[in-house]
Amino acid sequence: MKVMRLLQMTDSTFPVGTFSFSNGLETATYEGIVNDADTLMQYTRSIALQGAYSDGVAALLAYRASKAGDLAAVEEIDRQLMLFKMNDEARTMLQRMGRKMAELAERFYPDDKVIAGWHADIKDEKTPGCFPVAQGLTFAAEGLTEEELFASHQYGVINMVLGAALRCVRVSHFDTQEILFKLSEDVPRLYEKARTMRVEDMNAFVPEADIFASLHEKGNMRMFMS
Amino acid sequence: MKEIKREYSDIPVISFDDAPEMAPYLQPVKASYVGAPGKHGYLNLGFELDSSGKSILRELDRRTPLIVQQELYFDQELPGIPCVYILSSGGPNVDGDRYRQNISVGKDAMAFVSTGAATKLAEMKYNYSSMAQVITLDEGAYLEYLPEPIIPCRHTRFISDTRMVVHPTATVFYSEVYMGGRKYYGDGEMFEYDILSVCTHGERPDGQQLFREKFIIDPANSDLRDVGIMHGYDIFANVVVLTPVDKAREIYEKTEAFIDRKRKLAAGITHLPNGAGLLYKVLGMETGPVKETVRKFCSQVRQAVKGVPLPKEFPWR
Repeated sequence: MKVMRLLQMTDSTFPVGTFSFSNGLETATYEGIVNDADTLMQYTRSIALQGAYSDGVAALLAYRASKAGDLAAVEEIDRQLMLFKMNDEARTMLQRMGRKMAELAERFYPDDKVIAGWHADIKDEKTPGCFPVAQGLTFAAEGLTEEELFASHQYGVINMVLGAALRCVRVSHFDTQEILFKLSEDVPRLYEKARTMRVEDMNAFVPEADIFASLHEKGNMRMFMS
Repeated sequence: MKEIKREYSDIPVISFDDAPEMAPYLQPVKASYVGAPGKHGYLNLGFELDSSGKSILRELDRRTPLIVQQELYFDQELPGIPCVYILSSGGPNVDGDRYRQNISVGKDAMAFVSTGAATKLAEMKYNYSSMAQVITLDEGAYLEYLPEPIIPCRHTRFISDTRMVVHPTATVFYSEVYMGGRKYYGDGEMFEYDILSVCTHGERPDGQQLFREKFIIDPANSDLRDVGIMHGYDIFANVVVLTPVDKAREIYEKTEAFIDRKRKLAAGITHLPNGAGLLYKVLGMETGPVKETVRKFCSQVRQAVKGVPLPKEFPWR
């Protein structure tokens, strides 16, 4: 049963809209910088790394706050994550996906007070409603483990880029599966560090990806929303 | 980051010992100890309007090795702006250095702050060097902080925290240019430092948090040459502009995001959260073009806020 839940919440068909975002890949491809399986793997690894030490940390902290029944702490993490997001498209992505997941989570766990309180505050615009926070709360409500949450989070980030790649980079399904298979091996190491981090320790360094995001925001490529 | 009071000085030493990324670098320094005179730089710069409405450097307090002399008025485009260079008598930042800088600009005043030369971060063996800054801007104030690049060496460890307290009507242009290392030293020394940890965060005078950016570069444990991170570039510039929303919109529209493959130069601009302003990033191969790109952007900001561009850079800079 737990495995079924884990698979469901991690699956790319889970309706939070991951397919609409490319995380800068659309621009990187247009510029010819990501153009094969090797450059795609590098780019995906960069995005996965920054996701681990920012969104991944927020998901873990929200999970723990939810287990402690501390809605105020959940919302502080939510707010801090939003302060950390440096472009409009990233903020939009996080909030859209977060809101959808909050809605689903409330249907799944109608008795969970933290989820109900958080969702109500999102609707009242008292808290931003970031996706990683929604993941943390949902996994806590389901009784899944921290490791499972982190793995699911990393899987989601990697798969979002690879899913977009199938539509804009000349790579095959075999290539993307191989990349996913390889990058999964980094996840235990990333988790060991992420699980010790506090909200003020969140960090990200992907300057080239930031420039892709800026070009995307300013340009008129619109297959993806980021 | 916490303050530790020392008896010989009225200025507390700032410690970053609780930052987890510095945990491997906490041994006592064998040479001069952490916080010793000369390793505990302090600078307090307060710009204000005088009774005639001229911006002046009203407050200046400093401890070695940081030096600021009097303000100069050498900007031909904006003759009223006091210009100050921060110098360091100690040469590079060395193991165990703890610096602190406060820059404040009072109501409607303006200031330009730079450094006299590149900031070299020496090789470190036992501990780390650090910088804590507070930048405060009152109503209508204007500050350009445009220092020369920062050059880390092999085994440099450096951590900084920059807090900006900015009134909604004020504008601060804050830039940092990071070289990957001593590019032409020996066979080249790129990304051989141990760690750079840089945190910049902004808030309003009433305490409302605006944004928080933190990056940690740990070359030995990351794939810095991956697409998306430094890829083929050697230099990275980070610029934070806190400015009113209408100015931010105007500057954003006028600033180009680009990837110039011929010059190996790229730049991107984005809006900070909470309508706080803009974030501009530049990647390049040599300091010249990167500095020029940052200056061009600064000129755009000055044009939007003060109605004049930046003057031409001095040929020796």
